[in-house]
Amino acid sequence: MIISVSNLSKYYQVHQKEPGFGGAIRSLFARKYYDAKAVEDISFSIDEGELVGFIGPNGAGKTTTLKCLSGLLYPTSGEVKVLGFTPFERKNQFLKQIALVMGQKNQLWWDLPAQESFLLNKEIYEISDERFKKTLSELTELLDVSDILKVQVRKLSLGQRMKCELIAALLHSPKVLFLDEPTIGLDVVMQQKLREFIQDYNQKFHSTIILTSHYMKDVEQLCKRIIVIDRGKILYDGSLEDIVRKYAKHKYITVELEKKIDRDTLAKLGEIKEYDFPKVTFAVARDQSNKIAAKILEDFPVADLNIEEVNIEEVIRDVFSSKNGKV
Amino acid sequence: MRKYWLVIKDTWDEILTYRLSFIVWRIRTVFQLLTVYFLWLVLIPQGSQLFGYTQSLMLTYILGTAFLSSVILATRSYEMGENINNGDLSIFLIRPINYFYYWFARDIGDKAMNISFAVIELSILVVILKPPLFFQHDMMILFLTAISITFSIIMHFLFGSLLGMIGFWSPDVWAPRFIFFIIINFFAGMLFPIDILPKAVATFFQFTPFPYLLYFPIKIYLGQLNSSHIYVGILTTILWTILLSVFLKMVWLRGLRFYTAQGH
Repeated sequence: MIISVSNLSKYYQVHQKEPGFGGAIRSLFARKYYDAKAVEDISFSIDEGELVGFIGPNGAGKTTTLKCLSGLLYPTSGEVKVLGFTPFERKNQFLKQIALVMGQKNQLWWDLPAQESFLLNKEIYEISDERFKKTLSELTELLDVSDILKVQVRKLSLGQRMKCELIAALLHSPKVLFLDEPTIGLDVVMQQKLREFIQDYNQKFHSTIILTSHYMKDVEQLCKRIIVIDRGKILYDGSLEDIVRKYAKHKYITVELEKKIDRDTLAKLGEIKEYDFPKVTFAVARDQSNKIAAKILEDFPVADLNIEEVNIEEVIRDVFSSKNGKV
Repeated sequence: MRKYWLVIKDTWDEILTYRLSFIVWRIRTVFQLLTVYFLWLVLIPQGSQLFGYTQSLMLTYILGTAFLSSVILATRSYEMGENINNGDLSIFLIRPINYFYYWFARDIGDKAMNISFAVIELSILVVILKPPLFFQHDMMILFLTAISITFSIIMHFLFGSLLGMIGFWSPDVWAPRFIFFIIINFFAGMLFPIDILPKAVATFFQFTPFPYLLYFPIKIYLGQLNSSHIYVGILTTILWTILLSVFLKMVWLRGLRFYTAQGH
């Protein structure tokens, strides 16, 4: 087991600001604090080579968890072990085996070419010349950036910079890689490229990767296992397929009709989600989908028929809203 | 060690990308220097003395502090507070690098650049103004001056770092630093030698670390201190350096527990 977390809690002390000038003066003398519970009593473990996605809305506790795992935050309570180390002690042996990439933080020197930052990391991580050369050429090839290494970082596009950030973080071949919103702000094409890279990297080097993202696409494509987190608590921990099976009560049947049929007749078959002739989409109970599909084919003139799973984003949304008691 | 050497080199390269800003910053320093220089030139006419200083000694003092402030006071440590406040500290904590050695290396890079400019500027000024400078020839005194300067550099770095650590508790990292600038101007001997102050005040400040930042090394150089004064002074500097570094370590460890790595 590479990572084990048991009963981890992290509270932030937040200074309560009173409004107005008077409030500002008062707060100089007597500050009121309250505990913001970013993460509350969570436990999980992750094995070598896993690629796990953390998903949840803003402020759910994803980043906080990641920061506790990488040693940036001192846990309020509970135990965290990564590669057998206690992250917060930040022993050099530990730091040499992990990397954290934050989509909104740069470790590259802004005014110098990326190459200079790579060389600095080579020294920081004590990478041999030979290994450095090999890893760098592998990474630049995978990410297709060999032509921009000598360009000042400030002159790179966001996507190019993100690629260079990844290289800087991966030069020491970390066993555990934490990715915090790696695709944030990137265009769709670049997002896709990064995803492919992360996938390749995980397979090629068998490193353990933990990723947080707002983009369901990231998680859907990359992670077999997801941990859904909201308001500091884990709502779901398991495979992506299972969450669909468990929480999606419906499947969608989309039919292309050959001639117009009135809505009421169709409604007898199942709930109509959308009807825009010639296309009609039904939401039907999962276990009924085959039966209903057969009936549609039998009863109506149909040009085409398609059975689909509810998309994962919707499922997750359902998970959040049901736990929050809105459904 | 190679990593810190690279940090020094990269800092140098970085400053060169902002050549113009740097040069204008230096020009500002020269004008500040000229103001103080001419003030003292008028106050102490040739052949007379004021507060026990001849014109030559005072002008050497003023030009000496100007040079030493490039050596001792040039620092990047204020960026620590910004690092902490905007969460960039994380990108250091995640790597096996000593945060303070890193910034000390940055300081050395910065100082190297400032010193090279200061040497050029002062040479030009000396050629143009032809001030009656005092040159110290005693090797022992020069050696002790160098020792004193070395500790001043470390001590000033520790002060800068401590001021940066405020970032853990407050986003207002600049307010305390401005107060520090005021203290440096008056009580480290930036604008005038401290011994022209009333004796009681001057004596009081001997016990604080501030005179040892600038005033003390120059006084050694000028040959105005006897050897017991010099040794007591150097010992005081070392004592303060140790105290400040222990304190910095404590504050750092406490701060890290506080650190919430915001700014995501």
